[in-house]
Amino acid sequence: MSYFDRALIAVTLIGALSGIVGSFIVLRRRVLFAQALTHATFPGAVVAALIGINIQVGAIAACVSIIILLTLIDRLPRRGVQAATGVVLAGGFAGGVLLQALNPTAPIQVDAYLFGSVLSTTTTDLWVSGIALAVTVVFMLAAGKQLLFAIFDPAGYRGAGYDPGVMDAILLVLTTLTVVTAMPAVGAILAIALIAGPAAAARLVTRSATGMVIVAPAFGVASGLVGLSISRMFEVSAGASVALVAALIFVICLAVSSLRSRTARTKPKVGAENLDTGLIRIQAGAHS
Amino acid sequence: MSFIEILSQAFTLPFMWRAAALLAGLTLAAGLIGVFVNLRGLEFLSDGLTHAVFPGVAAGFMVAGTGGVLWGAILAAAAATVFLTLLSHRKVTSDAAIAIMLTAMFSIGVIIVSKSHNVASSLEQLLFGHLFTVTTTEVIITLIVCAIAFALVLATLRGQVFAAFDARGAQASGYRPLGLSLVLNIAIACVVVAASIAVGNLLVLAVIIVPGAISRMWTRGLGGLFVGAIIFAVVAATIGLLASFTVSVGANVAIPGGASIAIVFVLGYLLSLAVRAIVPDRSQQLAKRGEQ
Repeated sequence: MSYFDRALIAVTLIGALSGIVGSFIVLRRRVLFAQALTHATFPGAVVAALIGINIQVGAIAACVSIIILLTLIDRLPRRGVQAATGVVLAGGFAGGVLLQALNPTAPIQVDAYLFGSVLSTTTTDLWVSGIALAVTVVFMLAAGKQLLFAIFDPAGYRGAGYDPGVMDAILLVLTTLTVVTAMPAVGAILAIALIAGPAAAARLVTRSATGMVIVAPAFGVASGLVGLSISRMFEVSAGASVALVAALIFVICLAVSSLRSRTARTKPKVGAENLDTGLIRIQAGAHS
Repeated sequence: MSFIEILSQAFTLPFMWRAAALLAGLTLAAGLIGVFVNLRGLEFLSDGLTHAVFPGVAAGFMVAGTGGVLWGAILAAAAATVFLTLLSHRKVTSDAAIAIMLTAMFSIGVIIVSKSHNVASSLEQLLFGHLFTVTTTEVIITLIVCAIAFALVLATLRGQVFAAFDARGAQASGYRPLGLSLVLNIAIACVVVAASIAVGNLLVLAVIIVPGAISRMWTRGLGGLFVGAIIFAVVAATIGLLASFTVSVGANVAIPGGASIAIVFVLGYLLSLAVRAIVPDRSQQLAKRGEQ
């Protein structure tokens, strides 16, 4: 298998995983939190490279630490958690760079951690991504409905005798899994484009949450494959190309959905047809 | 070489004076504007601005080398400020849309830089600043940009304070909220641009957020808020600058000045949080007693 074949498989697996988990992150409105997690993987990777362990192990440790730290800060009164998030992120970047400067001989590749290096994907990376995707798909098939229920109607979910906190915790675990899997390929800064982009795009062009969870991974895979081909054709950064294609798909879906709602609005206001379009729009509104 | 000797040697070097002059302007502006960032909760808008400025920084660097960075940053910041201000006043978009668009901007910057020959070193310089190698021209332009930011906020200070505490009240008394936000956001953008040179695109956020956040923990009253933020910014930048010089000379490893300044800001914030968690806040106790 050539390095480019491995890269193609890697972006396919990561694109699908990001699409699925990203849908739930977008629906649950946790995009900014997911972004904080992706940024936090950078110092984790630097520390891991320093002590000579797998950078994804370091990234997991960093995600867990930032989750704990932000939860603690959130409990203190009168401290904006937004400010805390920003400070912790900048601190992570600064700490990572300082550690690198203090250890000039260590094998730390700052640009690879920040913007990804999908072309240096190893077979082990592929196994990690494959297992992460399999775990996520199995969970979604088994409990995806419960997760949607808990996201859309926490009060109803609680009333039905379940604990929405459990589903939030599971989503947190899945988010960490996705962020850590995507980080070596697309990097700590650009990963959020692949997580939020396909999901937000799918949300604009689908009418149900189930449709969104099916379309989003397709968009994710397409972003990965098209982005990788563009980066090979024009010899530019692979992670940045993938992120840019994901953003482009979002913009196209935005245009399609706004065109669609404009044509729906210009339909005649009286007549038999009106009742139907009204109903469809009410249904669409209920789902979106 | 002893610590004192290193310190006395530090300011015989011209590049240290350039770094100090640049930081003096930057910390004054960042302290003042950081207070408004904190009061109005503009942390993520500031983060967005740093991301949006990056392609301008990269394009400027590619076209005209290090001297082009500031001009590229200024152009990109102007465009991004207007766009983000309008966006936040429309309230139609979600945080997902903003995150996607800003990451796309950043990607454009990375693609521009990845076409250059020496990708890794120029990227690191743009992301983490080059405090010790700034030129005199860069210092002068940075000081001008900081002065503009400072003047913009000072000129609209009454309206800014009013809007920060009571947006509707300010609107009702005839202040124009969109205009005030635009002026404040332009000032933030100026600080982002100025700080990009010194501490780099990824670390700007620490310099903007921390002084206001710390000052808010410890001071009461508006005057104290501004003075506290500026004093903290100046002291922390001085410590960071001297620390990175001392370690670089004493231990003979090149420490990036921007990163060491950013880490001093962040450590100051964490320390302040920890102390505040132990030492009770008197004004809050009074407020509680008042409620009972």
